[in-house]
Amino acid sequence: MMPGLKIDHEKCTECRMCYVACREIDINAVIVSSTPKHLLEIDERCIYPKCTVCLMYCPVEGSIVDANSGRSLVPPPPEVWTEEMRWPRTAAPKCA
Amino acid sequence: MQPLLQDFLDKWVYPTGFSGPGVDFRLRQTERCIPLWDKLVTQAIQSAEQDLKAVSDEWKAARARAGYAAEGPFMSIKQMSTQILSVTVDEQSKYIDLQRMRARQIWDEVKHGQLHADVLLRGGWIKREEELMNDARANTQPKLSYFGMTAMFPHIHPLARAGQHYYIEAMACLGISATLSVIDDPLIRHQLRSQEAEEMMHFMEGKYQIDAYALTPEDQKPIEEVFDFLLRPWVSEPSRALGGSA
Repeated sequence: MMPGLKIDHEKCTECRMCYVACREIDINAVIVSSTPKHLLEIDERCIYPKCTVCLMYCPVEGSIVDANSGRSLVPPPPEVWTEEMRWPRTAAPKCA
Repeated sequence: MQPLLQDFLDKWVYPTGFSGPGVDFRLRQTERCIPLWDKLVTQAIQSAEQDLKAVSDEWKAARARAGYAAEGPFMSIKQMSTQILSVTVDEQSKYIDLQRMRARQIWDEVKHGQLHADVLLRGGWIKREEELMNDARANTQPKLSYFGMTAMFPHIHPLARAGQHYYIEAMACLGISATLSVIDDPLIRHQLRSQEAEEMMHFMEGKYQIDAYALTPEDQKPIEEVFDFLLRPWVSEPSRALGGSA
């Protein structure tokens, strides 16, 4: 199954905020590709549009796009961060 | 409110991936930051408009020297590197991602000093970067305790610095946007555009760390104390490089 999100490498600065956020919520859909440039990629574990956490902390406009439509989702349009789409954070950060 | 600030809030500040005490805390602190962010945008625009009217190009060099003093190896070593040390070995697993973000910023800040040196080199004000070592304007800056107290924050608590990231790096982003909205000089625009995404990433570090990690009163207290310090009027004067007068 294709992931719902895709990274635009023309824009992405490899800051890894998406990797950190996705890992924090235990989805782990952002991977480091096994290529010389070690570019970040989003794989089929991504559950967008059920999850939009990475979009909230990506700092570069246009870096992450809808894989189907190509629509930029950074900065995130209001409809992708409604109350019910947020991940509750009431517990302490997980330990490795 | 300045339109640039409202745009920044709507696009980058308010969107959040989490709900809970961290987000609630961040939004409360945001209300404290907004008046000073607004003042910064106004000042940056005015400063840029003034620079446009200048007879000589010296304003470009003045901005670059101020930027060189505020960013570069000093910033990297005294602020960013100390933050790595604020996490004890026992806490590594809890805060490893935070350390990786800060490790990246160690490089970013060193590079930003180079961007300012590039303006001076390509603009012909210096022939070699070493000349800046003898120029006090490129090695001192008036921000209160910039390399003193603000480098001590991390030693209080691993998360303390998130407050500074959030508030100060937002000002970097806003200062860049404000200056780009006025200045058309290619040298200055190049320097600003080159670091724009990285300053936003530094802001996002603060935003993420507060949303995701500042979940208890014990974790929030050191961050709130950082805001208490930084939001005093005599601390928040922005650097000349970002359009302030400091």
